[in-house]
Amino acid sequence: MEPTLESPVSPKLSVSDGSALETKRLSAWFGDHHVVKDISLVVQKNDVFSLIGPSGCGKSTFIRCLNRLHEETDGASVSGEVLIPGAGRRDNIYASGVDPVSIRRRVGMVFQKPNPFPGLSIFDNVAAGLRLAGVMRRNILDEVVEMSLIQAALWTEVKDKLKKPGTSLSGGQQQRLCIARALAVKPQILLMDEPTSALDPISTARIEELVMKLRNDVTVLIVTHNMQQAARISNQTAFFLMGELVEVGPTKSIFTKPKDTRTEQYITGRFG
Amino acid sequence: MIELSIRDGRRKMVNYFSLAVLCALAFAAIAPLFFIFAYLLLRGWGGLSWSFFTEIPRPVGESGGGMANAITGSLVLMGLSSALGVPLGLACGMALSELKKTRTAKALRIAIDLLTSVPSIVIGLFAYALVVVPLKGYSAWAGGFALAIVMVPIVARSTEEILKLVPSAVHEAGLALGLPRWKVLMRLILPGVRTGITTGILLALARVSGETAPLLFTAFSNSFGFRGLSSPIASMPVQIYTYATSHDETWRQLAWTGALVLVFVVFLLNLVTRILTRRKI
Repeated sequence: MEPTLESPVSPKLSVSDGSALETKRLSAWFGDHHVVKDISLVVQKNDVFSLIGPSGCGKSTFIRCLNRLHEETDGASVSGEVLIPGAGRRDNIYASGVDPVSIRRRVGMVFQKPNPFPGLSIFDNVAAGLRLAGVMRRNILDEVVEMSLIQAALWTEVKDKLKKPGTSLSGGQQQRLCIARALAVKPQILLMDEPTSALDPISTARIEELVMKLRNDVTVLIVTHNMQQAARISNQTAFFLMGELVEVGPTKSIFTKPKDTRTEQYITGRFG
Repeated sequence: MIELSIRDGRRKMVNYFSLAVLCALAFAAIAPLFFIFAYLLLRGWGGLSWSFFTEIPRPVGESGGGMANAITGSLVLMGLSSALGVPLGLACGMALSELKKTRTAKALRIAIDLLTSVPSIVIGLFAYALVVVPLKGYSAWAGGFALAIVMVPIVARSTEEILKLVPSAVHEAGLALGLPRWKVLMRLILPGVRTGITTGILLALARVSGETAPLLFTAFSNSFGFRGLSSPIASMPVQIYTYATSHDETWRQLAWTGALVLVFVVFLLNLVTRILTRRKI
């Protein structure tokens, strides 16, 4: 049939409007060990989406599938779909021919332990992503580094010592440096894998504050062991147990009236 | 109580005795080093003079002369071998750390370990067949090539060990920025470990600066100073070997002084690596 002007046939977009990310029957393995089982969920744009659950429930592996970092581990494998608008190949990041490198530009990540590049200055740490992608203009780099450090609430503390090594900062500052580094390449989505578990309470509070501000610019998925943290900063929460998604919904209702008894048991501290 | 304290005394005695034995054995093990150094100082010090470093050797029977030809020769050979051996060794080391536990990596690791234990005279033969024969003559090229083969496994293994110390989280941080693996390694990991890698290179240099066997029928020797890379070239170890086995008293003195200088250079290289490694990687 010829497409008419009234109803132009556009390529069917698999991702629905307003969603930042969608997984369809996503599974992940380490060798024979099935650690993420058939997860389907949707994350809306500008959500702060928290993933909670006991250790070893697969939540970290799950988010490592969302920037195709899981597959970098020996013996790791993935099945299912992850849809991210604009990722190409009708937007499934696991479609054949999609380059994981291009996905990781769209989906940034902050890790459990602060991991600045050793031997690189504060400036060079933040500039690394852009510079190695070919951005060489000094004024652009200056601007992006400053913007990213301001976004990461670190600028005032480091603006006079940008040439000092990134590793010379305190743990909490290093973690904010890593956030600035991830933001510098302007990702659509920011994955955070227990970003405060290695930090003291004051540094933790600063990062939580920061995450709540970031939601204006980027969609955040955050794995946390700390249920108060999930309750404080996220608007959507998913509860994982033994690789399965038990329950997902607005954070408020997950914490006040969970539908599943296992969720209730976990958030009331009866296991995990 | 009494019985216990007697046993206690005995235990302490045994302890002191074993400690004394261990110390004596440890001293016996390192004693040769001191003897070598002391003896070299004794025999070689007298020959140290400005002309030792600036003059080429004189014909048999004439007194005076120096080892300038061997010193520049050794420097040229070390430069040549580094130019070839360092990039190759670095590449091997990076490949090993990237390939981790794959079959290729295991095979490569075994090959490199075997290369470490190949007698250096055999490496000399290999360079003879591969470079000297086709070029129809001894040359600096051939000597540099042979020494490079000695360097490769040392640089490769030390590079691998240093890269292993970098947490995988740093690697992942680079990947998560949307950078290809090779860029992460070359531009983000390597700058952070340059001190460690330099250490490995210096150790390899210290090792080849004293190698004699691979040079005997590759670089050969020459008593006139530098004549180009395609000509035979002198080197400290080979010169020492030749002069030490000669009957000329002046030459034998040169050999002693040369040995002293060579040992001092190797000692210095090792000291520098020590200082570099003490600073954090």
